Amino acid sequence: MSDSATRTPLVPPSTVVLVSGGSRGLGLAIVTDLLSAGLKVAAFARTVTPELAKLADTEPQRCYVDSVDVTDLAATQVFVRAAEDRLGPIDGLVNNAAVGQDSLHVHTATADIARIIETNLTAPLQLTRLVVRRMLAQGRRGRIVNVTSICAQRGFPGLVAYSATKGGMDAATRSLARELGGRMLVNAVAPGFFASEMSAVLGQTQLDQIVRRTPTGHLTAPEEVVPVVRMLLRDQTNINGQAIVVDGAASI
Amino acid sequence: MTELSRTQIRDLMGQVLANQGKVLPDDDGTDLRDVGFRSLDFSELALRVEDETGEELNFDAPGLRRIATVGDVLDFLVELQRQ
Repeated sequence: MSDSATRTPLVPPSTVVLVSGGSRGLGLAIVTDLLSAGLKVAAFARTVTPELAKLADTEPQRCYVDSVDVTDLAATQVFVRAAEDRLGPIDGLVNNAAVGQDSLHVHTATADIARIIETNLTAPLQLTRLVVRRMLAQGRRGRIVNVTSICAQRGFPGLVAYSATKGGMDAATRSLARELGGRMLVNAVAPGFFASEMSAVLGQTQLDQIVRRTPTGHLTAPEEVVPVVRMLLRDQTNINGQAIVVDGAASI
Repeated sequence: MTELSRTQIRDLMGQVLANQGKVLPDDDGTDLRDVGFRSLDFSELALRVEDETGEELNFDAPGLRRIATVGDVLDFLVELQRQ
């Protein structure tokens, strides 16, 4: 067994992508964008929103959706098999499903800490394992994009457990990229704060402060993150094991 | 569960401030910024109430952001004990 030196074939662009947490916000924007780019997309979320259901209705040959809790490993296994039966072998994964936090660490219930870690760290690691096992077993190459957060790299009050999980996923991204030896490209996209439900947790004062400190003068919008996700799934870039921050330079 | 009264919580709040050389004013309408009572002071107070009652008081941040006066602190903690 040798890990050395022969040139590894390039990882082709993903054609069938699984997106977790695809029912709203950034996840829905990713699903919409990938479908617009001509890809096949399998997406799940705890609740399938009318917007996501409409995409599946409009593109039944290219879009498969279902209601799945990402922490339910058995249900994700069933979903992956069903998605592959419908769309073909999955060769791209976007780990996007996550829950937010809005409480100081000392006042966060222990059950809530466990839930945040299970949803944002354990579940995506399990889903990644599941998808990578299928890809490796069938000799496929593929790409993985983990949606993390600027919280993985900078500190923010009220987001301790959340930040820990996102930092964990950034770290896993690097190790997976090494471990998979170029057969798969594994990267993370770390958005800054959205002016949306996840960021509502910060409060207007903190959001205003972040905007003032952002050279581009505005909070990140999902539409600004989507092209980066698509690039990592589709383009030939040799980017691997990286966490790409999309925050208008707020954090530099 | 033992529940602390508003007066008992006020006493604890006075202790938190006294440890920092500050004084809790008599007027419940006093703005917390004027008292120098910050969010971590609120955490300390909540944890002291927990110690007394033996029950964890967990809460999200948005509720905290509505708190502006001494009276708001006392009302919040009295209400939180009942949840």
